[in-house]
Amino acid sequence: MKRFLALILALSMILVLCACGAGGGKANDGPFKPNGPVTLIVAYKAGNGTDITARILAKYAEKYVGQTIIIDNQDGGSGSKGWSKLASAKPDGMTIGFINLPNFNSSIVKGLGTYTIDSFAPICNHVTETSLIVVRADDDRFPDLNALVEYGKAHDGELIASTNGAQASNHIGAQAFANSAGFTYKAVPKGNTNEELTSLLGKEADFCVAKAPDISSMTDSVKVLAVFGSARLAEMPDVPTLAELGYYQDWLGSSRCIAAPAGVSAEVISFYESAFKQAMEDPDYLTEAASFVTDYMDAAATAELVKQQQTFTESLATGFWYD
Amino acid sequence: MLNTLAVMGQGFLHALTPINLIMMLAGVALGIVIGCMPGLSAAMGVALMLPLTFTMQQDTALIVLGAIYCGAIFGGSISAILIHTPGTPASAATAIEGYQMTKRGQAGKALFTACYASFWGGLLSCISLYFFAPLLAELTLKFQSAEYFWLSIFGLTIIAGVAGKSLVKGLMSGALGLLLSTIGSDPGSGIPRFMLFGNSYFYDGINVTCALIGLFSMSQVFILAEKKIKERAQASKVTDKMSLTRAERKTIRPTILRSWIIGNLIGILPGAGASIACFLGYNTSKQFSRHKEMFGKGSIEGVAGSEAANNAVTGGSLIPTLTLGIPGESVTAILMGGLIMKGLQPGRMLFNEENAIVTYTFFAGFVLVQFFMLGIGLLGCRGFAQISRLSDAILIPCVTVLCVVGSYAINRLPEDVIVMFVFGVLGYLMRKLDLNTAAIVLALILGPIGEKNLQNAMIISDGSPKILFSSVICWVLIALCVVGILSPIFMSKMEKKAEANAIAGTTEDVEQLTEEDLV
Repeated sequence: MKRFLALILALSMILVLCACGAGGGKANDGPFKPNGPVTLIVAYKAGNGTDITARILAKYAEKYVGQTIIIDNQDGGSGSKGWSKLASAKPDGMTIGFINLPNFNSSIVKGLGTYTIDSFAPICNHVTETSLIVVRADDDRFPDLNALVEYGKAHDGELIASTNGAQASNHIGAQAFANSAGFTYKAVPKGNTNEELTSLLGKEADFCVAKAPDISSMTDSVKVLAVFGSARLAEMPDVPTLAELGYYQDWLGSSRCIAAPAGVSAEVISFYESAFKQAMEDPDYLTEAASFVTDYMDAAATAELVKQQQTFTESLATGFWYD
Repeated sequence: MLNTLAVMGQGFLHALTPINLIMMLAGVALGIVIGCMPGLSAAMGVALMLPLTFTMQQDTALIVLGAIYCGAIFGGSISAILIHTPGTPASAATAIEGYQMTKRGQAGKALFTACYASFWGGLLSCISLYFFAPLLAELTLKFQSAEYFWLSIFGLTIIAGVAGKSLVKGLMSGALGLLLSTIGSDPGSGIPRFMLFGNSYFYDGINVTCALIGLFSMSQVFILAEKKIKERAQASKVTDKMSLTRAERKTIRPTILRSWIIGNLIGILPGAGASIACFLGYNTSKQFSRHKEMFGKGSIEGVAGSEAANNAVTGGSLIPTLTLGIPGESVTAILMGGLIMKGLQPGRMLFNEENAIVTYTFFAGFVLVQFFMLGIGLLGCRGFAQISRLSDAILIPCVTVLCVVGSYAINRLPEDVIVMFVFGVLGYLMRKLDLNTAAIVLALILGPIGEKNLQNAMIISDGSPKILFSSVICWVLIALCVVGILSPIFMSKMEKKAEANAIAGTTEDVEQLTEEDLV
């Protein structure tokens, strides 16, 4: 009995060790084609928003990549653990990963990792989420955005906005909006978007900035006053943009881009660029991905976006926040 | 309402898929094995198995963890009854009457009672889970920064006051945990504090699961290794039939109901867990019993009172875990970790259109797990009894490997293994000094919640502390904190009484037996 148990335990340990050691592969000569399972690093936990969309994409991209795609969840340090691992991966095209703008840029500005934007070679963009300005649906004080701004100016420093963390994406949004509208407010860092919205619904906060998918399940309890950028969103055509109302002019939101470690060959980039493009145009993929905005951008446009977001995030260091 | 009922029904259908049923079976069996091995507790079982659930579906993963939890709490009673060593602290009170029954040749009856009472305790606790969890989840909108601050303080006072033998040591343990919880970025401003291993490793604070594996499992290995390795006592043979007569079942029915309510309430209180509930359940069963003379000599009511109470904790302690994100005891603290890893945030979101189906599948799974526990418990008791005497020579290396693999598997970071070992040593020292390791875990979880919400409340009120006293819920929580701090006085009285009675009974009994033996 004892020996039997010991044997089973020994065998299961060997199994675990084997599972850890598997994978890898060497690139061939000629046009790039992965010759083993491809690792796709996601810098967040399994089940997180990025993880869910990444898994849907990976499922359909396997057909065009020609290999199994393994999602590697490397959570922690506001994403910096995963991005450090991606930056230091061997640039042989067998390891790629998601970088989430602008959190990725913030992690560089905060010095959480040893990487910079030059440590990565962007491949394409996958999902874009636009930021919105949100209040409670039954809050009669704010029928529209101008009412919110008027109130904010009349009661300067009194409005409370919940955020998903100190200087996190939704805090940046609230600050950019308030700065452009010329009023001050109190930002309450809640740590995540879920608690941020609970704070709004529980009447602790007056308004907040959130991204479209975050509020998709609470359309009865919140109303959207404006979207960031200059183009209205297809799914909410009646909601004005901040730019058209004359406030903050630029687009704000988050982008989930795919990148390889710097130093990969141009063939690797173009191979994945076209494989993911085909996957994102696959009708079956589009059916399954109906709940979020797939926004393919090629490698050049993605690199431009990464740079632009980096410049923006760095500009926040001076004169943006209240001190 | 109809909608909710429909989702509840759907939850049962989802829970009945083959994979979920297989996982319930495996989880319960594994839980019982872990529970009946002295030295392995329910918290350890759930923590060590957590990495295995990473690749599973959300509902399956939660069901497995719930199954291990329930199985382990019941499993502790098997070794308590057959070898007079509670498999988990939750069965400490079961050993008193259970072993006496075994000595009388009623081991089968004792095991059946434990299994039957555990089943009903667990099943009845699901009622409160179904009714109160969604209600409390709705109430969470009333819980804002100030309320959360007090809630975390309440959890800490309870764990400090109730769980240990000495209030001072409980408070010391809690304070140490709070101190450790300040490692990582400041929850308000994001400024890094006490960072080791570079800028990002401790950014989110100490990984609670690693700390927990170290504190509970690794420290246990040290304690086991320190003693001379010896074979455990031969498990007593089960000679009688595993059953109860109709009259006996009727006798323990009121006991089970009382213990259910006690266990359920203890479960809902943040910080207090199954090990306290079993003593309270046992004591109450004795107070209300019509056969007080049987206590100390092998009372089925005593076994039922303890076992129904500790299993009733399971459903109860899930309520604050799922709704407020404040775990009811250390096992649910890990379960909450699993929940968040699966992308589910505690609170109202668990009951919205998107997630309700997963939540209710988990609830339905939790109900079905009780039936598996009854079935496996009744059929497999004899086999599990053999496992419970597994030698430490095998147990020590196996648990060590599981600790290392378990802590590494979470993020595949070698630093996590170091943290696990550091907490293993810390846990060992704390247990030597009679400090409370569970208080550290709860402080690691509650510390940042309290700190963040205090900061937030101060931002909102422009620094005025009045906001902390501004709502009815705040005052209720403050009152509960006071009760929590004072509770050791009541608790120690009650527990001493229970234990004293029990010990008195046992020694009398032992003396009688020796006299008989001599004759």
